[in-house]
Amino acid sequence: MLEITDISGATVAALSGACAGDDLERALACDVRLAADSASFSGESLSDGAAIRLARLLGEARAKDIVLTGRRFEAREALRLGVVTRVVEAARLADEARATVALIASRPPLAVRAVKEAVERSRDLTPGEALALEHERFRRLLDTADHREAVDAFFAKRRPAFEGR
Amino acid sequence: MGENAQTRWSMDGRVGTIVIDNPPMNVLSDVNRRGILAALDEFRAAGARAVVLTGHGDRAFCGGADLKEEERLTPDIVDDFQRRGAEVNRALRHFEPPVIAAINGWTMGGGLVLALWCDIRIGSTRAKLGAVGVKVGLMASNVQLARLVPEGRARDMLLTGRALEAEEALRVGLLSAVVAPEALMAEAAAWARMIADRPADAVARAKRALNAALEPALETAP
Repeated sequence: MLEITDISGATVAALSGACAGDDLERALACDVRLAADSASFSGESLSDGAAIRLARLLGEARAKDIVLTGRRFEAREALRLGVVTRVVEAARLADEARATVALIASRPPLAVRAVKEAVERSRDLTPGEALALEHERFRRLLDTADHREAVDAFFAKRRPAFEGR
Repeated sequence: MGENAQTRWSMDGRVGTIVIDNPPMNVLSDVNRRGILAALDEFRAAGARAVVLTGHGDRAFCGGADLKEEERLTPDIVDDFQRRGAEVNRALRHFEPPVIAAINGWTMGGGLVLALWCDIRIGSTRAKLGAVGVKVGLMASNVQLARLVPEGRARDMLLTGRALEAEEALRVGLLSAVVAPEALMAEAAAWARMIADRPADAVARAKRALNAALEPALETAP
């Protein structure tokens, strides 16, 4: 079973039960994946799109293991392979997902969007181009009201209030 | 061997050590950047075969940018810092002998960038690694982080800004080993000596080949 939560373009998937096929493919499209310790996964009959996504997310060796064998694996192994980045007790999954969404939502939206976009675009760029993009974005973010608010709040020891500008 | 106001470096046998000494959080200053570049030059001239980079004390490896410095930053200064930062990253990457980061504590933002450009990272149980840029509305380290760890993990770190404790960093491959704080420098020295005892040209060739395979165009980066 899959639940997707979208916050200002960043998505978190909370996975429990059996995760395979289209469910797994949709989960792979999210930015962050969390799983219940009781969740299980299967690489059987994945689409080409899911295979490409797995190769990008996990690296070639691990992706081929999953896609070519189509084998079933448990949450712990999914964590080790990097299919998910955190595993929690099934009863805590919803809370953990909500906390992750809240954490990302508390960050300055422009920076969240810049990170997502840079990670996505960097794949198709040479390392030199990707670094140039990172530096250019850094410069632009440095001039945002939200960055100044973060610095002010840090020294005033208060919670920052971000406005997405 | 050498030092400036916030950086110290020395050589023991064929192993060079650089210490970022800018308490309390070892924030990365331009003085540190110049110190690292000077140290690498001296190590090269002295025939070093491996280098250890660490932070002074047990609180931080490197806390990243100095937020207090920000009020004084003009666009020209930012450009300058970025240029010198990129120069340091390239110098670590292309320094012929491997560079080992001994992560003794907080490693955040620009400090994480520095650690990611080293060849090997080992940590103490106090190590905490965070791509914290997003917390203050910035973005850094996304290129190198997404190359070192699978993209899914990079997204988790870069979008939440949460810091990884030593154990999680070890599990995801950001650290190659974790030891007790008091054992860290001995462990780093042992790794460095292990490398220094290998045939230097074979080590250099392997590092060059990995660099070339992973980032063919990096020399042209800003």
